[in-house]
Amino acid sequence: MANAHASPVLKHHFDDLGQQHASERLGMWMFLATEILFFGGLFAAYTIYRMLYPHEFEIASSFMDRTIATVNTVFLITSSLTMTLAIRCAKLGDRAGLIRNLILTVALGTAFMVMKGFEYAHEFHENLAPGKLFRAEYEKASKSVAKLTPAEAEAHFKADAASAHPAHAHWAAELALKNKAGADEVVDSGKVQLFLCFYFVMTGIHGIHIIVGLGCILWLVYEAATGGIPPENYSTVEVVSLYWHLVDAIWLFLMPLLYLAGAGMHH
Amino acid sequence: MSDPHNTTTTADDPHGVRKDLDGTGLLLVVFVAVLGLALANVGISMKMGPTKYTLVVQMAIATVQAGLVSYYFMHLRHGDKVVILTALSSLFWMAILFVLFLADYLTRFWVIG
Repeated sequence: MANAHASPVLKHHFDDLGQQHASERLGMWMFLATEILFFGGLFAAYTIYRMLYPHEFEIASSFMDRTIATVNTVFLITSSLTMTLAIRCAKLGDRAGLIRNLILTVALGTAFMVMKGFEYAHEFHENLAPGKLFRAEYEKASKSVAKLTPAEAEAHFKADAASAHPAHAHWAAELALKNKAGADEVVDSGKVQLFLCFYFVMTGIHGIHIIVGLGCILWLVYEAATGGIPPENYSTVEVVSLYWHLVDAIWLFLMPLLYLAGAGMHH
Repeated sequence: MSDPHNTTTTADDPHGVRKDLDGTGLLLVVFVAVLGLALANVGISMKMGPTKYTLVVQMAIATVQAGLVSYYFMHLRHGDKVVILTALSSLFWMAILFVLFLADYLTRFWVIG
């Protein structure tokens, strides 16, 4: 079929732009379906272990930094808005608006990663990471807690719970205090570490997805700046946005599972 | 539901790409709703603490958020049938994943007889 509005954007194997755009969207959605399953495996594993060790998962989650996570959630949701506004600008042929919105999206995504970096750094500083660091810190705290009389332990415990920033009340001391009373561990420190494994793997893989998304959006900025995204090529922006929104949507589930499982816990 | 071969073109829109253009107002409303739900999720979780219903409430809120994001931001509301089918298929496969896993783990500790 001869196309009355043939465009240099139209690839030769498509009848028209409508068909080309639909194919691009479909291709991206099929990729997203595999991404959902990829994260689905992690969510399923998390579900099983949370079901088996609910107490340890809640306690471990209460050590996470909810302030950073909340700020990061705001960043990601806002970046989804700017990404969608970028598609609108592309369709309207507003190149300046397109570039502005894409750069805002990159800035918000970068801010997310910077905050995440601070968060990881803080956790490693506190030795709140599974394995050798965790064990050494926990053993040290257990030894110093063992010297306390039950009354002193109780007083410590109350002071910890009352501290202004409970997430930063020292986790090892808190775990050791919980386990002081009985001969057996009340809170299995191994299972606390299991939660931490989920935390680092899930947020780490999510972070890698953010970095990939940032790369794609920077490529869009370059394309837009060099005139590669005329209105009829808006779907290039749209397919990247689909990926970006999925990464945002996955965070909306990670946030309650990892940071809010132990929210509002009375230590 | 859009037909990829049926695009409406006008003089200032020769390729018919402005069909299904998002209104800025609508996008802002969706943004505020998703953001509000995120903050509500934090607030409710802090207030409730870990009860057996907390996770259910949290997942319900996150599901509504993901629904809004996919319907409006990811343009499922303008999606072709085949795109919607692909999106739904991912949920279907997820359901298989969870149902089979849980069918095992939830029944492991049953005492029969």
